[in-house]
Amino acid sequence: MKTSRLIGVAFKQLGKNKLRSFLMMIGIVIGIIALTLVVSAGLGAQKRIMERVGKFGLDSLMVFSGGGREMGRPTGEQPVANLKTDDAEALKQEIKGIEELAPFNRKSQNEIIFQDRSTVATIFGVTPSWAPVWDWDAREGDFISEEDIDRLARVAVVGETVRQELFGNLNPIGEFIRVGNIQFEVKGIMQIKGTSPGGGDMDNRVYIPLTTFMRRVANVDYLAGIKVRLESHKDMDKVAQEIQSLMRERHRIAAGMPDDFTVRTPDEVKEMAESVAGTFNILLIIIAGVSLIAGGVVVSNIMLISVSERRKEIGLRKAVGAQRKHILFQFLLESTAVTLTGGALGIVLGVLGTRIMVLLTDMPTSISWEIVAVGAFCSCLVGMIAGLQPARRASALQPTEALRS
Amino acid sequence: MNNALIQAKNITKIYNKGASAEVKAVYDVSLDIIKGEFVAIMGASGSGKSTLMNILGCLDRPTSGVMVLDDTEVSRLGDEELARVRNKKLGFVFQMFNLLSRTNALENVELPLIYSDRSNITRLARQALETVGLKDRISHYPGELSGGEQQRVAIARALVNDPEIIFADEPTGNLDTRSSYEIMSLFQRLNKQGRTIVVVTHETNIAEHTERIIRIADGRLIEDKRNPHPKSAGEELKNIPSEEGDNENK
Repeated sequence: MKTSRLIGVAFKQLGKNKLRSFLMMIGIVIGIIALTLVVSAGLGAQKRIMERVGKFGLDSLMVFSGGGREMGRPTGEQPVANLKTDDAEALKQEIKGIEELAPFNRKSQNEIIFQDRSTVATIFGVTPSWAPVWDWDAREGDFISEEDIDRLARVAVVGETVRQELFGNLNPIGEFIRVGNIQFEVKGIMQIKGTSPGGGDMDNRVYIPLTTFMRRVANVDYLAGIKVRLESHKDMDKVAQEIQSLMRERHRIAAGMPDDFTVRTPDEVKEMAESVAGTFNILLIIIAGVSLIAGGVVVSNIMLISVSERRKEIGLRKAVGAQRKHILFQFLLESTAVTLTGGALGIVLGVLGTRIMVLLTDMPTSISWEIVAVGAFCSCLVGMIAGLQPARRASALQPTEALRS
Repeated sequence: MNNALIQAKNITKIYNKGASAEVKAVYDVSLDIIKGEFVAIMGASGSGKSTLMNILGCLDRPTSGVMVLDDTEVSRLGDEELARVRNKKLGFVFQMFNLLSRTNALENVELPLIYSDRSNITRLARQALETVGLKDRISHYPGELSGGEQQRVAIARALVNDPEIIFADEPTGNLDTRSSYEIMSLFQRLNKQGRTIVVVTHETNIAEHTERIIRIADGRLIEDKRNPHPKSAGEELKNIPSEEGDNENK
């Protein structure tokens, strides 16, 4: 009852001095706008990372050819050529918990020609298990089959980007494309996948049988990598370790020598992407924090001025029976109400700003209740901290002192 | 003297105690105020009368001496307890009116009740404004009211918590003669209804409206006498020509 009256007093006082309240608010509004933009961009980036990791599959891991001392994705041309088809078969037979695996090789920057058109794409040599392991099949026509593998067929499945570049409105199935001097019959079109965790276009690809790739296109006897799909995500670390020891054994790597292959789990991929985004976010949050602190200093300053301006009011309130805590509460509430209102305004403008940012740039953003919560919490906190000293000063005034004109 | 509302014994107030600039604002003052009295505390400016009123009104504590209000020794209470006492038992009227600007009459009168446990504060504030004859000025802002009307709002504010005593510090100091008499007439009427009122003033003709006049000089009580025939402010008002724009109600 009494508390609600005191809340009423605080809000009335703010309403009576609109200019002062507005000036106090503006710093907070700017701070919260900044914070909202930063948080929504941060959450957006995180969401995009999760989406990309999700595309790779949380229950899958990768075995790459070559040691993993340097970070980053191995390129198509492997410096170490030691991962063999036999290795893939051994993994599947000897390690429990593997549902399916897809050995592959690839070659980037190939000119693909159809009639008088050409485009540059990555060629993947794959097996039929690619489709279930990546959860990624032909959306029209057929994917590479066992039979294609056995007879080293000259067939290809094209990605969406390649289809658009070469065929436009034409139906590519049954048409022939040329890579180097080998003709491939297009037998399917892949489902659209979009961007990879590393940022590459996963649709700018041409898939051919792994055997055809190794013998006829690249003339190699090794793989670029094997994607391994596990029965359960829970076994990830255990299976990764087993793969490592089996591979070391098969490749006869002496104890103490580094691996000549790399096992990469999705957790690692996620961590890498997040640490990059995280550094950036911390920087932005610091900037937003600084502007919030500046806003808080403004609030604190104006409140202090207002306390000395309002000595009479405070004295009068005390004379008619206001206690220390009432005055303290009123002034704290005033500053908190200002910053909360500023915060609400900042959140609204920040969300609008985020939408504009989405329209103008391709930045990923995410608007969610967390932003509202963070904004409201921060503005409330700033208000309390900024109002504390002025409120204490106001509440310490003696009634007689304050009434003296 | 058991029905004394206020018992002040040997009240002394010293500022800057112990320093070379020590000021004895009030020195060894003893007095009782009985329930229902209308008292004037008189003295020149700087005589210590306002300091004395602050102590009697529980706005300040004496340096030494005992101050008992309504059987409570208030000179020993802390700030918060004093605030509670003021809120419950005392009402104040100031020379400068001290109304909150940009706050209408009704809200100004409600002010003491905000800090009380009472409910229906709007109804009580309305009643108080009615008592001082400002029923039709309820939603006016101080800037829209004459000096006399502002002081009547202040009196309504002092009345609203139904106090034991009303203290008025130079209540007519900022008013013209006619408004001054209106205010004194209002005080006389309230006193007749049983209110205990203490007015601090330096004007003899204002003090003459009260029943008892206490004189203070250099912080000491020099005279405390009955005024058996207080002047009636209402009678005097009849002899003052009404000014234009001045309202006649009351």
